[in-house]
Amino acid sequence: MIIGTVGAKTIEGVNNMGRFARFAWQSMIASFRSSISPCTYPLIWTQMNIIGVRSVPVVMITGAFVGMTLAVQAYDQLAGMGLEEHLGVLINISVVKELGPVLAAVMLAGRIGGALTAELGTMNVTEQIDAVRSMGTDPVRYLAAPRVLACLLLTPVLIIYADLMGIIGGYFVSVVQLGINSRAYWDFSASGVELWDVSIGIIKGLFFGVAIAVISCYKGFTCKEGAHGVGQACTEAFVASFISILALDFALAVIFKAIYNTFWQIKSLV
Amino acid sequence: MKQQNKGKNTNTKNGDGIIVLKNVIKKFSAKIVLENISLAIEKGKTTVVIGPSGCGKTVLIKHLILLLRPTSGEVYFKGQRIDNLNEGQLNQIRTHYGFLFQGGALFDSLSVTENITFPIRQHCEIPDWNQVGELVKSKLAMVGLDGFQNYYPANLSGGQRKRVALARAIALNPEVILYDEPTTGLDPIRSDVINELILKLQRELNVTSVVVTHDMTSAYKVADRIIMLHKGKIIADGDADFIRNHPHPIVQHFIKGQVSDDDLAVLRMSGTMSQAQFLPRDFEQDL
Repeated sequence: MIIGTVGAKTIEGVNNMGRFARFAWQSMIASFRSSISPCTYPLIWTQMNIIGVRSVPVVMITGAFVGMTLAVQAYDQLAGMGLEEHLGVLINISVVKELGPVLAAVMLAGRIGGALTAELGTMNVTEQIDAVRSMGTDPVRYLAAPRVLACLLLTPVLIIYADLMGIIGGYFVSVVQLGINSRAYWDFSASGVELWDVSIGIIKGLFFGVAIAVISCYKGFTCKEGAHGVGQACTEAFVASFISILALDFALAVIFKAIYNTFWQIKSLV
Repeated sequence: MKQQNKGKNTNTKNGDGIIVLKNVIKKFSAKIVLENISLAIEKGKTTVVIGPSGCGKTVLIKHLILLLRPTSGEVYFKGQRIDNLNEGQLNQIRTHYGFLFQGGALFDSLSVTENITFPIRQHCEIPDWNQVGELVKSKLAMVGLDGFQNYYPANLSGGQRKRVALARAIALNPEVILYDEPTTGLDPIRSDVINELILKLQRELNVTSVVVTHDMTSAYKVADRIIMLHKGKIIADGDADFIRNHPHPIVQHFIKGQVSDDDLAVLRMSGTMSQAQFLPRDFEQDL
């Protein structure tokens, strides 16, 4: 009985993974084709407005609080060792490399992912996706691809906003509230944060954006009937996006560290 | 069973209709929804599929356009086998169809004009948008809704939504129009408007129509041929007179809207209303 249940769940899990992998592949192909087809640009533009422009305030607020909280938490430890002027390095490297991208992506998973899944899920249960298919149009290309492209292009931009506000927030608390010397704050920051650190945070945004969009669209396309089905799909989309962001963050940290150790240090020798 | 009733049996199982299903079986997990269905939809005729809720009517109509693929069996459109085509190839075939969904399935975020031009924008080069405007006007006039171009689906009544959906379904001048429960949820007058529209399209565009319904008034009015499905099987197939006089008790119970003796017996066995319902005083006593 137990073996049978475990076996059935395992087979179902593998089937779901297979379906998701196929959907992700179709989305990637459709996104590539849409990106070279000017007639789909208005659809992408609309999604960029919904996904990108309207997310700017929440992402900026997230970034600002990350920077300010880091300053408050880290000040006492560094001041105890007489290193409070190094606070800028700690805050800025944490913001641009890890916390800015990850927390901005989590915020986007909640704001965009939930909305995408709810919208596509409702379209699915009201047969609008079947209607797209019945008119000879590929719903992945018409519905998923513009959303994937908009997330791919705009998540890195939103991360830049989050980073910027995190840096400003950290500076405000450190210099204005805690009285650290402004020149020393920036000098130490400049010496500790490299272009590489800023770049990998932004590059992570490409992966996070695709993960959020593909997972959310998949959950919307495979949503079950009724209000409960749509609600469940939204919850699953957020949980899956959140875990994917953390897993991708870890994997990318390992990969970028290897690349940095191999190639970036050669730069100083050249 | 030998049929001795009046009317004509139009069963064309192995005929050469515009759409042909051969031995189609559809299963969802272990549940068999369509059981070895073979039928040919005749070109230029209106075929109505009737049957009780849950008997597989919508599943059947979705197989005609391959929105659902059969578990086994074959589907042909104009002699070409289509159940083994990929989605890209099927999309070309589907431009020959129009599909009216049960709830209309209009795109909420698009206006009436944008909904109707959706298939045109997807499949046609549009050199002159004025022509498209004229086309939308003519399609809306056909369903009696000219002047509603800038409305959104949320601002339309149920009947108006179905008529706009019908205008969208005929936007590409399809050869086949599939109607899934076109009169469900509408009052009798609006239902008759939809029935008249189905007949009008049949007359003016000479399309092949397949209508899924459990509304017998609608079925008798529009049908050249009526097929009755029961538990995934075709149990009657013929013209309206043939169905009216069909000896099968399930057919007779369905077309007359009468509950069967077996169902009545189940209702009687399941207890009386007074035993089943709870009254506030039952809870007060516990307290």
